[in-house]
Amino acid sequence: MGIKGLTKLLADNAPKAMKEQKFESYFGRKIAIDASMSIYQFLIVVGRSGTEMLTNEAGEVTSHLQGMFNRTIRLLEAGIKPLYVFDGKPPDLKKQELAKRFSKRADATEDLAAAVESGVKEDIEKFSKRTVKVTKQHNDDCKRLLKLMGVPVIEAPSEAEAQCAMLCKSGKVYAVASEDMDSLTFGAPIFLRHLMDPSSRKIPVMEFEIPKILEELNLSMDQFIDLCILSGCDYCDSIRGIGGQTALKLIRQHGSIESILENINKERYQIPEDWPYQEARQLFKEPAVLTDEEQLDIKWTSPDDEGLITFLVNENGFNSDRVMKAIEKIKAAKNKSSQGRLESFFKPVANTSQPVKRKEAEKTSKETSAKKSKGGSGKRK
Amino acid sequence: MLELRLVQGSLLKKVLEAIKDLVNDANFDCSSSGFSLQAMDSSHVALVALLLRSEGFEHYRCDRNMSMGMNLGNMSKMLKCAGNDDIITIKGDDGSDTVTFMFESPTQDKIADFEMKLMDIDSEHLGIPEAEYQAIVTMPSSEFARICKDLSSIGDTVVISVTKEGVKFSTRGDIGTANIVLRQNTTVDKPEDATVIEMNEPVSLTFALRYMNSFTKATSLSNTVKISLSSELPVVVEYKIAEMGYVRFYLAPKIEEDEDENETKPKV
Repeated sequence: MGIKGLTKLLADNAPKAMKEQKFESYFGRKIAIDASMSIYQFLIVVGRSGTEMLTNEAGEVTSHLQGMFNRTIRLLEAGIKPLYVFDGKPPDLKKQELAKRFSKRADATEDLAAAVESGVKEDIEKFSKRTVKVTKQHNDDCKRLLKLMGVPVIEAPSEAEAQCAMLCKSGKVYAVASEDMDSLTFGAPIFLRHLMDPSSRKIPVMEFEIPKILEELNLSMDQFIDLCILSGCDYCDSIRGIGGQTALKLIRQHGSIESILENINKERYQIPEDWPYQEARQLFKEPAVLTDEEQLDIKWTSPDDEGLITFLVNENGFNSDRVMKAIEKIKAAKNKSSQGRLESFFKPVANTSQPVKRKEAEKTSKETSAKKSKGGSGKRK
Repeated sequence: MLELRLVQGSLLKKVLEAIKDLVNDANFDCSSSGFSLQAMDSSHVALVALLLRSEGFEHYRCDRNMSMGMNLGNMSKMLKCAGNDDIITIKGDDGSDTVTFMFESPTQDKIADFEMKLMDIDSEHLGIPEAEYQAIVTMPSSEFARICKDLSSIGDTVVISVTKEGVKFSTRGDIGTANIVLRQNTTVDKPEDATVIEMNEPVSLTFALRYMNSFTKATSLSNTVKISLSSELPVVVEYKIAEMGYVRFYLAPKIEEDEDENETKPKV
């Protein structure tokens, strides 16, 4: 999934491009969320014990609905305006990756059967999680739920991350939220991780900014895409023996995959025979996305009370009191006038004053960062 | 090289008390014209702009523009060690990572040096355009503080409306509603007790009281406060600092939902 080891690579090489933010600080922001990833997470964690999951009377799984409903309300209550983007048809290049996942799932299904037989609880849960697959039914359920909640939904022609990135680039949303680092490769200017994590885990949202990443790594966007392909993406194999760190070194040294291929020792590094890196690059640079204004008509509307009750309570066995209360919450969040942000009124400008410290900081960065951590103790509390 | 000597040291103490709860860390910018600061609160809803003009200092030397990152909580701790009548001198050197605050008692028999570590602060500087405001209210600062405090016991937000009749502060909460109307009043003994309303157009805006209450910590700096309102802009709450400058608080209004339909993307 995503780009192998990119988080660590960035943490090591571009620490300033990553910022921890409070969940609450995104009030008033429109955020595009990769729906498939969230649904997958809900299926894995919400209301699970062993192979048992939340189901309705007919025995159909409802974990995804429970998760989507509660998590979305949490976003709305925080004043965030979520917009969910669903995956469309996977690109041809991803077929190999998908086949791999399919076979892994098949393995897990076998393991699960074995585990159920032997009765080891931990194994049952572990393998049962691995067999999770987001089906069309899950997606359709969630789309229906979101529409009833008055939350906009977009169906991407292909990869959801690509569509999210496009929405963010064109300024329709402030940021993209996903757990998949692909979003950065697709060029989402601001990318958030852990936004959809349960509040009980108390993990701060991690914000990545593409311009800062490029500045810190000293790469162009094209080079960054090449770096991601070399590190290992969903669309083609990587070269054995080249991980993120080596890839970064090679890109810095040679500038592009073509030039690296000309220069590296082919004995040491085996280039896969069929290596469609150019196609992968093309996919990242010009993915299939909706750009039509009309199809991207994004509106947040009032929830449909009756629809929600019919769907959740009557069809899926949710507790009717809880659903009623939740609907009240959605309405309250909707009616509350939202707090404006200063950036909507004032634009950032360059500051003319020279920081006294930074001059020295460049010379002896290690020493000062040690000092800084002491001096900044108040901030880091 | 930087050396700023402020005879009325208590001003700086009061400034810090006024802003330290709103902003944790900030860069102080020194130039030949003055000592200034601009910083946003962590949620980017409120902004503080401080200016102390060079003329207000007894001695002012700043060889080149410098920016010094300070933790305001720590700075406030140090300034609390200065007496109210003390003369405060701020000293800094190029390339040093500390700033020194020197406190001299008025009789010159006690001199204290406090050295504080500076920090690297990555902060955005916002450009604030000069604007014509639709309405400007000048009123006693203590009255404004009282109103904000009273209203916050009823509700979370305050609607400030300026009309021909006067300025109205209103709120609503679970227990009920409150409305306070002030009329223009210039026939008072002392000019600082006057309430003056300059209105070009009626205006009505909603703000979070939490922030307003935080701004009123600056009440001790000035007898009067100036509130400038425009429907398209954050409110400005300004406290003058003696003859030498001001501390201004900007607060983004609350936006009604239906107005928000057109994308208000931050112009980053």
